[in-house]
Amino acid sequence: MRVVTGVVGNDIHVVANRLIEISLKERGFEVFNLGVNTYLEEFIDAVIETDADVLLISSLNGEAEGWSRDLLFLKSRFDLDGVLFAIGGNLSVGEATSEEIVPKYKAYGYDLVFHQVDLNTGIDTIEEVLKERA
Amino acid sequence: MFQREREIITSTPYTDSFDFDEIKAFITGASKNLFISHKFKTSDKILVQPRGGFPTYDKVFELYGAFTGAGVDILPLTIDSNTRLNDYEMARKMLALSEENDENMLNGYPLVNHGYRTTRKMVTHYDTPISLRHGTPDARLLVEVALASGIFEIEGGPITYLLPYSKNFPLDKAFLYWKYVERVCAEYSELNEPINRESFGPLSATLQPPAIVIVIQLLEMLLSLEEGVKSFSVSFSQTGSMSQDIVSSNVIKKLARKYAEKIGCGDADIHLVYHQWMGAFPRNKEFSDSLINTSTVIASMVRADKMITKTRDEAFGIPTKEVNAAAVRNTQYTLNMLRGIPSITDEEEEANLTEMVDDIMEAVFNDPADTLWRQVFNSIKNGIIDIPFSPHIANHGEAITVRDKNYNIRFYERGNVPISDKCLAFERSKIDLCGASLVDHIIHDIGIML
Repeated sequence: MRVVTGVVGNDIHVVANRLIEISLKERGFEVFNLGVNTYLEEFIDAVIETDADVLLISSLNGEAEGWSRDLLFLKSRFDLDGVLFAIGGNLSVGEATSEEIVPKYKAYGYDLVFHQVDLNTGIDTIEEVLKERA
Repeated sequence: MFQREREIITSTPYTDSFDFDEIKAFITGASKNLFISHKFKTSDKILVQPRGGFPTYDKVFELYGAFTGAGVDILPLTIDSNTRLNDYEMARKMLALSEENDENMLNGYPLVNHGYRTTRKMVTHYDTPISLRHGTPDARLLVEVALASGIFEIEGGPITYLLPYSKNFPLDKAFLYWKYVERVCAEYSELNEPINRESFGPLSATLQPPAIVIVIQLLEMLLSLEEGVKSFSVSFSQTGSMSQDIVSSNVIKKLARKYAEKIGCGDADIHLVYHQWMGAFPRNKEFSDSLINTSTVIASMVRADKMITKTRDEAFGIPTKEVNAAAVRNTQYTLNMLRGIPSITDEEEEANLTEMVDDIMEAVFNDPADTLWRQVFNSIKNGIIDIPFSPHIANHGEAITVRDKNYNIRFYERGNVPISDKCLAFERSKIDLCGASLVDHIIHDIGIML
């Protein structure tokens, strides 16, 4: 399974990004890590170039929402039906609950949304969904 | 030719017009008390330096007043993040807003916008050495303004201010811009006491292996000395293991001397700077006090020449001047109890660390490039030098480290870092993941002080 991952927007928080990469590799994924400060267009390009199964975007500074508004438009331009779109981290700038956040991001075009969810739990869920789809 | 380059760099509407003759005369006649290189020679204690900087002149002036009242040895001047990215226009706007609204709209002092004529007044008023703290890959103008202001210690370097701070600033440019900085420091060093250059050993402050930290310290020192700098400080931050800090200190002191002599720069003064814990701080302020006191004890054990302090408010943001000054006073108090402690060592650990550093240094020197900076540049690109948790695209990020049961940081994966099979086996023999997954172990190891 191929995963493209990285931190969206102007966000230089590298520690969690590296932990995601190490964790995915440990579980046997082939990982393409675009690192911090990555734009949405770059993620989509990488998904196409690598023929990835999963796109896992992360965000720590909470600005991901502003960077996600074009996702449906970009998805409509390319054939990305088989790709699992996931986003996780701290997904709002102020305080917010998962009940508020998850529907919002699903409407932007993500299949899985992890707001302040533990790294292992998040990746476990991704693995389960991939298994169901297979 | 170099002077022409300097005139071009300093001709900008964002700072006051440069009068190089006047600056030369100022440095030639400057008080010895402004030179940390002089203070190192004349002091018999560990010098204490906090961190700090505010946008406006008045706030920095007050901060220095608080530090001086707390018995500070070296004052800091931390620069704002816009200036670090050479965005002087944004720094100018935010400074104006900070002055109008009496609010801190910048996370440091926009030195270029203030200019050297203004800043020099504050520097000469306190008559205490000041250290420039920034994080700038292209620090040419900033350093010109700092030196003209009377700030005679410049922190940073092409590796240590790039790999932890930037995703894609071009590495080769950073080397050339820092070469300019070294040459300016070397030129001014001939006028009075030497300008001190200091490297930034904490790097990304997250599970950094001492072997890599020391290699980078040595290389930045050599890049500086070969341009004519005569006073240099290598540094590292508290690892989380007291014994590893002591071993690191013994090795870096020995090897700094050895490699300086190797390139014919044995006449330079080399100092050791110790950073109190740079990782994530506890939110419990009593724990923070305890951590800071322990850092101070270790600084004495490693026989540092200077120590850079933290505050009990570290987990909560930029500290007030009162809290910052209290940390200085407390650190001096603790230091006062730590005179004349015996030196200790662990010969097996020292031999292992020395061998790893020498092996990596040899691989850098074996690169076929014709200059040292190109050898270092190539060594980063091909992963011979690889730091954990760097955001920079040139950094491989394949070396993985974890803590052993005594909290020493060990290589778990070496990536392309050319440490021997023997050394890797030694490192791995100390590791016990205790059944946890690698990533869970790393998360625990990052958060040991929480």
